[in-house]
Amino acid sequence: MIAPLQAQNPIIRWSWFIDEWDQVQAALVQHLELTLLALGLGLLLSAALATVALRYERGAPPITAGAAAFYTIPSVALFGLLVPYTGLSRATAVLPLAGYTLLILITAIIDGFRSVPAEVREAASGMGMSPRRRVLTVELPLALPYIITGIRIATVSTVGLVTVAAIIGQGGLGRLILDGLRRAFWTPMTIGASLSILLALMLDLAIYRLGAAATPWTRRRGA
Amino acid sequence: MIPLPFAQAAVPRGIGLAEWLVDVDTWLGRDGILSSGLDTVTLCAAVMGTGMLIAVPSAALLAHSRRGELTATALVTLGRAVPTFAVAALLVPVALRRGWGFEPWPIFIALLLLALPPLYLNTYTAIRHVEGGVVDAARAMGIGERTLLLRVELALALSVIFTGIRVAAVQVVATEPIRAFLGGDGLGRYVRDGLGQNNDTLIIGGALLIAALAATTSVAVSVVERLVVPHGVRRLKQRTAARRGSVG
Amino acid sequence: MRRSAGVLVIAVATAMLAVAACGGDDGGDADGPTIRIRGQDFSESVTIAEVYGQFLRGRGYDVELLTPAGFRTEAIDGLRNDEIDLIIDYIGGELTALAPDAAIDAADPDAIIATISPIHEAAGATVLDYSPAVDGDAFVVRGDSEARAISDVAGLGYVFGAAAACFERPQCFLGYTNPDIYGIEFADTVTIEFGPLLGEALAAGVVDAVVWNTTAPQIGVEGFRVLDDDRGLHPAQNIAPIISTAVLEAWGSGLRDALNELSASITTDDLVAWNIETDIELRESDDVAREWLETKGLLSQ
Repeated sequence: MIAPLQAQNPIIRWSWFIDEWDQVQAALVQHLELTLLALGLGLLLSAALATVALRYERGAPPITAGAAAFYTIPSVALFGLLVPYTGLSRATAVLPLAGYTLLILITAIIDGFRSVPAEVREAASGMGMSPRRRVLTVELPLALPYIITGIRIATVSTVGLVTVAAIIGQGGLGRLILDGLRRAFWTPMTIGASLSILLALMLDLAIYRLGAAATPWTRRRGA
Repeated sequence: MIPLPFAQAAVPRGIGLAEWLVDVDTWLGRDGILSSGLDTVTLCAAVMGTGMLIAVPSAALLAHSRRGELTATALVTLGRAVPTFAVAALLVPVALRRGWGFEPWPIFIALLLLALPPLYLNTYTAIRHVEGGVVDAARAMGIGERTLLLRVELALALSVIFTGIRVAAVQVVATEPIRAFLGGDGLGRYVRDGLGQNNDTLIIGGALLIAALAATTSVAVSVVERLVVPHGVRRLKQRTAARRGSVG
Repeated sequence: MRRSAGVLVIAVATAMLAVAACGGDDGGDADGPTIRIRGQDFSESVTIAEVYGQFLRGRGYDVELLTPAGFRTEAIDGLRNDEIDLIIDYIGGELTALAPDAAIDAADPDAIIATISPIHEAAGATVLDYSPAVDGDAFVVRGDSEARAISDVAGLGYVFGAAAACFERPQCFLGYTNPDIYGIEFADTVTIEFGPLLGEALAAGVVDAVVWNTTAPQIGVEGFRVLDDDRGLHPAQNIAPIISTAVLEAWGSGLRDALNELSASITTDDLVAWNIETDIELRESDDVAREWLETKGLLSQ
């Protein structure tokens, strides 16, 4: 119907990709930056909340329920709600993104530590290990496979969610998607969406490899 | 004020959340919460139904025959990485030019892509990791492959499959509101109008309604699970779920 | 395995360093505060922001062009929260946002400026001279429509499409349906995000009329028709720079003169031409802006 448009509006126009590489690269870097910030913050918060949940039996249900409730808030609405308070700033993007990782990460950390057999814990204490040393040198390594699986899932979904952060001016690959949407121009949309998928897969693979290197004893069991 | 029964209600900017929520007009009528909520529930139910029809049988068959393990995980990671909004937005112009209108195809397809990974992954891992001894014992008793899959493997996997259904359903319900930004309505309309009209009450109210529906969905799936999953199987759930990398 | 993991760690660390290194600004021979400019999230506003930004940079001002985001509310809030220093906005839109109930002749740009200037001044911003360039509100129908003016639509039973903001504005949906103004009874309404989707929906026949802007290039490309606003509902929509008073005063009258000179040289035809270049020819706003400034001799100082 929009014939004059379509004639020069293929799914991807490679010359644009080359000419606008600066823009694409900047978007990629911003995307990675937002993802890592959100994951870092999410991991810190999850570690703290999971510690509380593990230490106090009754703390676990409200904490996971809270994280689950947060997960159900639509991201567009949350970004929109924060704008009056934190402006079109990085904080407005990172805080909700970190919040969305909590459910996955807290569950993974709790599952991981709960999977440590009681006998192992008792043996470690029996050998005279302090609780702190036991947690760090015995329980954490054993819980690591669960935690790494959790980080992988959180990473992949965060990379996807960061595309939404473009609506509050935080750049990233979502910026390319929005730009294409704004102009009915397919190339930036295709590039933004494809690179977002590619980035998610590469980070997933990277964390998988890091995890495998950190837990060599699990290799025979497989992922 | 406006002499039309359908007119988009321009909610006053200063109205409080409680005041908005208790107003009868907020709930009834063409743009009311009830009708918008029904739109959302209908679409989500259609997506979940289609998703289960596609994902559960195919994952069960592949897992039963021990095939496609790599493809399964690769596809699922890929599916998780696809930005839903971008997919829906890319599909809208296509749908319009083909005369399908704004709704429901673009948003339906985008949400289906969102629902498939957890459904597929949980079904696949659950059946794939049914204890080998159980399967061998069943085979030794002379049970046919079909019965084995349906009566033994699927029954044992049911609990983990339900976890997948719950995760998928909650994600679909919480994501469906993007439909309002792509020419549709549904519960996302309040968030959209609130953002466009600079009305925080609508944004907060809309977000609360969506979160409430998502929470209800989660509970509803759990209730169905309790009714459907055999008691003995339920206890196996925790051991199988997280360890095998399924979503839980 | 261990080695490749190490390589990945290095790769990720390098990427993060690269990220950290990107933070610096380009300095320049500035002797005043950096002027932060942010376009709103549609092509014309992005190009306008590029034109003003590149022009000021060419005159030796220290300019930071931020990623385009949000619409009018975010622009005004950004100015007030000290996120940005300069916005270039449409004065009629400013009027509906800041003083929707002002009893003035909204078709007169000077009357609008007289209304919005004090409001901005009180919040620490200065409205500079408006440009002759206008991007007005447009009530758009398909080319085969029998209507020529908005009042002709009254009996046609049209399906109406517009962005969410339109439905609460006296100068938009409320004015079209108000029996004292146009009194149109639409058969149905659809909320559509502002932008090309409006044209797609109109072309596909999902709606029969949309509220768009007069410089939308698809109107000409698709053979749509802008109906005459025969009852004078739409306000004047000239563009005008609005700048943080503190930044303006820090730089002195040179900045004011430069901005007024640029505003005076932009025309409505320029806006249409820019939009055709960005939205139909699919070129980038920064290139379009630079070429226009070069052609006009506004970069060579």
